[in-house]
Amino acid sequence: MAETFQSLLHGFSIALTPFNILWGLIGVILGTFIGVLPGVGPALTVAMLLPLTVKLDPTGALIMFAGIYYGAMYGGSTTTILLNTPGESASIATALEGNLMAKNGRAGPALATSAIGSFVAGTIATLLVTMLAPLVIEVALKFGPAEYFALMVFAFTTVSAVIGSSTVRGLTSLFLGLLLGIIGIDSQTGRSRFAFGVPELLDGIDVVVLAVGLFAVGEALYVAAYSSRLEEKIEQLKGSLWMSKRDWQRSWPAWLRATAIGFPFGSIPAGGAEIPTFLSYATERRLTKYPHEFGKGAIEGVAGPEAANNASVTGALVPLLTLGIPTSATAAILLSAFQNYGIQPGPLLFQSQSDLVWGLIASLYIGNVLLLILNLPLVGIWVKVLAIPRPLLYGGILVFSTLGAYSLHQSVVDLVILYVFGLLGFVMRRWNIPVAPAVIGLILGPLAETQFRRALAISQGDLSVFVTQPIAASVLAVSAILLVVPLFFKQARRD
Amino acid sequence: MKAKPAELTISLAVLVLGIAVAVGTTQLSGAGGYARVGPNAAPAVVAAGLVLLGLWLLYEALSGGWRNSSPDEPEALGEHPFHLGAFLWVSVGLFAQILLIHRAGFVLAQAVLFACVARGFGSTRIARDLAIGLAIALAVFLFFVKFLNVNLPAGWLRPILGSAGI
Repeated sequence: MAETFQSLLHGFSIALTPFNILWGLIGVILGTFIGVLPGVGPALTVAMLLPLTVKLDPTGALIMFAGIYYGAMYGGSTTTILLNTPGESASIATALEGNLMAKNGRAGPALATSAIGSFVAGTIATLLVTMLAPLVIEVALKFGPAEYFALMVFAFTTVSAVIGSSTVRGLTSLFLGLLLGIIGIDSQTGRSRFAFGVPELLDGIDVVVLAVGLFAVGEALYVAAYSSRLEEKIEQLKGSLWMSKRDWQRSWPAWLRATAIGFPFGSIPAGGAEIPTFLSYATERRLTKYPHEFGKGAIEGVAGPEAANNASVTGALVPLLTLGIPTSATAAILLSAFQNYGIQPGPLLFQSQSDLVWGLIASLYIGNVLLLILNLPLVGIWVKVLAIPRPLLYGGILVFSTLGAYSLHQSVVDLVILYVFGLLGFVMRRWNIPVAPAVIGLILGPLAETQFRRALAISQGDLSVFVTQPIAASVLAVSAILLVVPLFFKQARRD
Repeated sequence: MKAKPAELTISLAVLVLGIAVAVGTTQLSGAGGYARVGPNAAPAVVAAGLVLLGLWLLYEALSGGWRNSSPDEPEALGEHPFHLGAFLWVSVGLFAQILLIHRAGFVLAQAVLFACVARGFGSTRIARDLAIGLAIALAVFLFFVKFLNVNLPAGWLRPILGSAGI
């Protein structure tokens, strides 16, 4: 514990250098600004802003990314409350009560409880990450390829089959991602797979191109086709921004309960902030002293889900940093940012790049403070961003997001692939196939394949290695149960 | 109840994709060294998965429709019917960008993309949109080339933009 504290102090000494504070500040502001834009979720925000960091040193770049990651979530909450268009599934619970509060002229307290709740949950969760990460590493250092493979299968199962409305559609999305991950040169043998002689495909498909295609191009095509001719209604920011004494009394227990719900969901590779936000909403609804207010704009219904979202997103940094396993589309893009610098997150990262990791963790604390300071006074500016007319907004989104995909390799082929992914995203969105599993499958698939083949190389091709090693076997067993049991439940419910 | 054509099409597409991957996998050699699994193991798993998922989707589509799916009519989600013009304008913008970016350069390609997308979203002020798109693209170009040292194609504007860009 003392050692962790030492490392964290060292991290602060890195994060608090003027340049790194500046990168953090720029990240927080850009993240909030882009995150506020309707139709832009955190995953797209991170993907769009990736090219800005190409020339930075890794520590500065990742500190900026941490700021973007958090800023995008804060910004998304503002949009959700004032516009009732949740940018991602984790914001749906907030939208339920938050928009109703705004309609009743209580937008100020709704935004305040969401910002302060995010700060409280984010800070507690960062503290937990700080304490938990060294412990996970102790265990992870003992993991071999079989254990890693099992954990990745577990992550695949949770992000595709457990979350979402349909197991089969989640798995379909995952397998599309896995297929895209196969394209290119096989890292073990150097053979090209499914590249069809296109040299640009030999390097594989970049996760940023897929994310921008699905989240920006697909989304723009969808919104243009199905809701560009609708009137938008922005709730005005009327009355006081401040929360009354009663608002505080109702908010803080919700923040703490939500942190306790959200963090575990993020930190075991159980992916996604969607389940904890709904769990928190349901909990607050059951415990509230003002049940009649639910469905009309109850402050607990905003405070809880927002805090749960933040705690879970922060918790997701534990598997990302210590095991290299992303559990959300946003974390998948962060992983690709690491990989762009030739850094593979995992237990060894804490030893080989301890400056970078602890600087990053320290910058999370700083980022949370910056966001709290920025968001409450500046919320008026973010509200103005919301008023940008739709035609110009989507024009801008496509200009910036295609730039993000193009500047990776300055390749027209990437732009063609981008449009194909856009069409794919349109179809998936229209017919209710989740897109996040595809993004995670693309980045995690090749890593899982490598671990699988390493495990078999060690065991001389004996497949029983996955069932005789206790950790790998139990993780695989839990994955199988998670995959199969809900199917029976669903069947039973129908009968 | 009749199966929905879109669900049938997507289910079949997943199935056909799985079969195609399976065929492609047989073209990859299987030498795997010590691991005894070569570069074709993962594609084989993915092919099998896609075929099974395609069959599963097809079964759902034929037995009352995909489970827990959104309603088929956009109106039920508070949306309007498919607007072909909007969809096409956004597509035209992206095609124009693909064709223009290495010829006319980044700034002009992005300006045209911006104006086409705005048109798709119902804007009728094409000159204004082009001007805004041009301003944004120019600012981004200069920021990337001068400040971030990332090269972007200058294209037809090279005489004006000077040596900046490639």
